[in-house]
Amino acid sequence: MKIDELKDFMNKGTMENIIECKGLTHYYGKRLIYEDLSFSVPKGRILGLLGKNGTGKTTTINILSGYLKPRAGECFIFGQEIQHMDPALRSNIGLLIEGHVQYQFMTIKEIEKFYASFYPQWKKEAYYELMNKLKVAPGQRISRMSCGQRSQVALGLILAQNPELLVLDDFSLGLDPGYRRLFVDYLRDYALAENKTVFLTSHIIQDMERLIDDCIIMDYGKILIQQPINKLLNEVRKYTLTVPEGYALPSMNDFYHPTLIRNTLEAFSFLPADEVETRLKTMEVPYSVLNSEKVNLEDAFIGLTGKY
Amino acid sequence: MFKAIFYKEWIKTRWYLLLAVATTLGFAGYSMLRISRVVDLKGAEHVWEVMLSRDVIFIDLLEYIPLLVGMLLAVVQFVPEMQRKCLKLTLHLPYSQLRMVGAMLLYGLLVLSFCFAANFFLMALYLHGVIAAELEQHILLTAVPWYLAGITAYLLVSWICLEPTWKRRIINLTMSVLLLRIFFLSVTPEAYNQFLPWLLIYTLLTASLSWLSVSRFKVGKQD
Repeated sequence: MKIDELKDFMNKGTMENIIECKGLTHYYGKRLIYEDLSFSVPKGRILGLLGKNGTGKTTTINILSGYLKPRAGECFIFGQEIQHMDPALRSNIGLLIEGHVQYQFMTIKEIEKFYASFYPQWKKEAYYELMNKLKVAPGQRISRMSCGQRSQVALGLILAQNPELLVLDDFSLGLDPGYRRLFVDYLRDYALAENKTVFLTSHIIQDMERLIDDCIIMDYGKILIQQPINKLLNEVRKYTLTVPEGYALPSMNDFYHPTLIRNTLEAFSFLPADEVETRLKTMEVPYSVLNSEKVNLEDAFIGLTGKY
Repeated sequence: MFKAIFYKEWIKTRWYLLLAVATTLGFAGYSMLRISRVVDLKGAEHVWEVMLSRDVIFIDLLEYIPLLVGMLLAVVQFVPEMQRKCLKLTLHLPYSQLRMVGAMLLYGLLVLSFCFAANFFLMALYLHGVIAAELEQHILLTAVPWYLAGITAYLLVSWICLEPTWKRRIINLTMSVLLLRIFFLSVTPEAYNQFLPWLLIYTLLTASLSWLSVSRFKVGKQD
């Protein structure tokens, strides 16, 4: 696919899927990571992949960036199968590797000069605007920079590349709160202003809440939830109810990870409060007080995936 | 694109190259000084005599230097690519991955050839004024397999460095030692003369091995 074809692809419609993965299955040795995983990312959306350690977030990023061949299934970016993608198309995919990895042996100036040769649409000023904020000399070697500074170099290079799709693996790793906020604000502003598509992962859920439009929450071996973040936060509720001490929990469908501490039962659910009340009465749960509250993304994530 | 790729490789290797050129020229120059001292003490005829009757070539000090220089160049060039999987950045660039790897190896081959050519130039320049052309050729032809070993070592160590798993790296290392042994089977001067064209083809064939490692890296092989 040439750049003109890419433009045609991008102009087909605003809800065109930039990323489309179908039936992904992967194992490390005999350990199943996930089976029959399918998802898509429409144009102009920021999608966050959330999951505990070992659920396959980095595996998915590696498959998407073409550095891991899944045991089964296929992934398409801009309509092309990743493993056999036209090299020219990679100029429209900005890749951030976990830990903001960049060529350590280069200086700020050298790395810009190097990358600029590969990208016809290179925006040098976008990179240097960010570098000027760091107040580091152009001759500063990347290996001698802090993790926060390196994250800005990596981000600056992606902004200068000006790709249609950004794939960011654990962008908050090693960053202090200031640099995390800087990264999130810059990225959010850039993606919205330029209608970019972003696929990202992070361990820091609070950062995701400020940044993403849609989320995929992964559990071991499968996708637990995939929906817009606003819908998720509007619908998911934390329910607490008082039950007699030592009460044995019944099997509760539609309730995620119910936990009992002394006489307080806590569970998360997408069901509305009146529906929950009906269910509890049907199951003859001897509760006295039922509280329902909205939660932030981090609480929703922990509630839906469990603490263990 | 070649210019940009060469630029990156130059940044990685420039200080090492300076050291490599200085070291190899130092050893070659020292070998020439040894000949010069014998000439000064016992005359040029004595040099000719020992070369013809006792198979002395005076540059035996150089035997393993090109090998070491080639191996270290591969380490200096490709270990930074494998640190924290930087190679992902290189392969993600909008350029054919096969050509990218080819260009990186071509850079290494060119600078290594330049370094080795400087050695031959220095030796030829000195020997030309001291001994007969046949004897000069005798010394230089004896050294050719050692320098070819240096180039092969560069290509084989690149193959090892680019390999993503340690288990396979050890296998590759073992195979490389055996493949390099071929260059050092005989200590007789000019023993490889008839074999040199085949040795050159053998050297060039090892260039393809690095792509095997990169292909394994691309499909996500790991320990």
